[in-house]
Amino acid sequence: MPSFSHSWLPFIYLYGVGGIFFIAGMILIKKAKVLNPEKKLDRRWNWLLYFGFFYYMAIHFIMIIAALYW
Amino acid sequence: MESLHGLGTTTDWVVMLIYFAGIMLFGSYFAKYNRSTNDFFFGGRRFAWWLISVSIVATGVGSHSFIKYSAKGLEHGIASTMTYMNDWFFMPIFLFGWLPIVIYTRLKSIPEYFEKRFSPTVRYIATIFQLLYMIGYLGIGLLTLGKTITPLLPQSFAILGMTIPVTMMGVIIAIAVITGIYITFGGQTAVIFTDLIQGLILLLAGLFVFIIGINYLGGFDKFWHLLPPDWRLPLADFNKPPDFNFVGIFWQDGVAGSVGFLFMNMGLIMRFMSAKNLDEGRKAAIFNVLFLLPISAIVVSNAGWIGKAMLGLVPSPLNANVNPDEVFVAVTHIIASKGVFGFVIAALTAALLSTVDSLINAIAAVYMNDIHAPLKEKFKKTFGTKESETKKELNAARIASAVFTGIGILATIPFSSYPTVYEAHGYFHSIFTPPLVAAIFLGAFWNRFTTAGVVVTFLGGSSLMIIGARYPGVLITPIAHGVPMDPVHPYTYISALYNTIVCFGVGIIVTFLQDPLTLLVNNIKKIPNHKIYMSGTVVISALLLLLIWFNIGGLPFLLLTSFILVFFVALASVYFLKFDPDSHLEGLTIWSIDRAKEIFKGGKINERDGEIIKVNWKLRNDAEEIINVSIKDMERMSAEVGDLVYISDARKYLGGLKSVHSRLGEPHNEDGIVYVGIENKESAQFVEGKILSVEKEL
Repeated sequence: MPSFSHSWLPFIYLYGVGGIFFIAGMILIKKAKVLNPEKKLDRRWNWLLYFGFFYYMAIHFIMIIAALYW
Repeated sequence: MESLHGLGTTTDWVVMLIYFAGIMLFGSYFAKYNRSTNDFFFGGRRFAWWLISVSIVATGVGSHSFIKYSAKGLEHGIASTMTYMNDWFFMPIFLFGWLPIVIYTRLKSIPEYFEKRFSPTVRYIATIFQLLYMIGYLGIGLLTLGKTITPLLPQSFAILGMTIPVTMMGVIIAIAVITGIYITFGGQTAVIFTDLIQGLILLLAGLFVFIIGINYLGGFDKFWHLLPPDWRLPLADFNKPPDFNFVGIFWQDGVAGSVGFLFMNMGLIMRFMSAKNLDEGRKAAIFNVLFLLPISAIVVSNAGWIGKAMLGLVPSPLNANVNPDEVFVAVTHIIASKGVFGFVIAALTAALLSTVDSLINAIAAVYMNDIHAPLKEKFKKTFGTKESETKKELNAARIASAVFTGIGILATIPFSSYPTVYEAHGYFHSIFTPPLVAAIFLGAFWNRFTTAGVVVTFLGGSSLMIIGARYPGVLITPIAHGVPMDPVHPYTYISALYNTIVCFGVGIIVTFLQDPLTLLVNNIKKIPNHKIYMSGTVVISALLLLLIWFNIGGLPFLLLTSFILVFFVALASVYFLKFDPDSHLEGLTIWSIDRAKEIFKGGKINERDGEIIKVNWKLRNDAEEIINVSIKDMERMSAEVGDLVYISDARKYLGGLKSVHSRLGEPHNEDGIVYVGIENKESAQFVEGKILSVEKEL
């Protein structure tokens, strides 16, 4: 069985530290009003940006589970 | 480790030659769409998202390359995909911060941004850093090409009784000449269209290798269980070994590399700028990162995984001592039949050429915009009519492309000392990216960031980076997250964290010290002969830079030198470089994008929702770059006279090839008809009798 430092620690670091960059970016673009959730098109982009983050998180989660238990 | 030679058969070479001839002819056809340097470099800002997205695949896949990811796939397994799957974190600020700035300020190069945002002096400094970055990138691309082609060739050729050995440098030079041909004559439109074809072929060829590889091993289940458990994980071990660890690669690739690739890789940015509008550029980027990058990750790495699984077979068809950088070629040679092998290698080589040609194109764009144009402006040189000037500029762009190809060949030399291309690329990103990344980031997202701050980011930051590279044990180890130090190539990846911190750090500190520095400069200005004293600080700064570059004195002395350097550079910048917030911030930071749109349009923007109309077209016998639609059609578009519009051939599969941007002129009363001027017609190459679509932009 691979060690924690090879399986879950990189995952936690990737989406923890990477998540800080992502959230900071989302806050910045909303504060600067370049992404305005009151506009219909921008609401779609807002949703898509969050979707992308969790999409990659899910892919990595599933791949780690597959590596460990399949 | 054994190097391969002579793998290509006659059938393979015939297939490769046909492939290359086809691609070059295809690219040359699109040269007719280059009517100006804008078309040559940016494809006339006309293309649909899907065309851009697929053409980016060839650039992205080529640059990251089959060679280096297959090597890491062999050595470390599925974790070779992680650099393809860590780009999302910076997408919000790229799509909604940087991309609108680049498009609406009509940037032709990254250094141009620094002139607009700060001053012409900063532009020159940025040009040096940008050219170093791009030439380094080109060097990596050419080195990878050499490593791909060399195994296919025999160890030597015998011509007229002479034996000519096949060396990697010789192969690199030959390939560079071939690359130069269609980039020199085709321009960006040729690159986009050849990349469209190559991107598709590349994805199919890579997936094909995966499928026949899995089949060769006896099915996916067999393949999966032939891989050792550690090889199945998607991320590397947190902090070891030194040549492939998660935390180092996260900072080198996920942070410095991703931001560098998205924000300052002109090859990529020029693709987005060739999209018909901002939204189309965003769609291209999203589709690429969400769907094409994960597929590309499999495509580029799988030969390494198949190779690792092959080593578990008894007897193994793959030599256990294979050079990791040659595993893609070796595995493909084992699993593919004659001809198919040649096709796969041709697709791979074409992708690499794609990256290289994009880079050469982008480097030439930087040269034309940041060296050629300012020099021409300075000496006020005009040689003839507008048409002959345009022709001369196109020729200058072509010559620049050829010269930089030569410099790129020389750049392969330092990178060839690394054991694999992956490590050479990692080292390159760690060193060349952070100063530009910090400068762009702070400039675009922080209104308060000053000219003194950006100059210090470049000069002070890079000096501290040099000291860090000389004394990694003292300066980088404390933030290395426990990554062991390789004495030959210390902290190949995690040094990016140190470099990023020092570049951001000095820029932020100096910006916060702007008020006391301004006070000090105002007091200096009261001293007689103050200009001579301040010129002295510039000379001293140059001498201090030399001390750091030549490593004179120990660490404490060098650190002290760098702090004095930072102070003098900041002081000289405040004294000599003028900064006017009104002109240097308008439309140039995330906080003033609406203003950027107004500047782009040259008036009040119109963002009311409107329809895209389909119309027949008629030629107006003048060269004015406006179009005229009917009053009713204007109402349907929610458009007004003077609005920016995009007119294209309505056949969607053309992806905007036959299109042009124009402005709305006075309306008429013929519904369903658009009048187009001669210049717009020639630029778009509209075909008589074909329906056009007209879309309001702003």
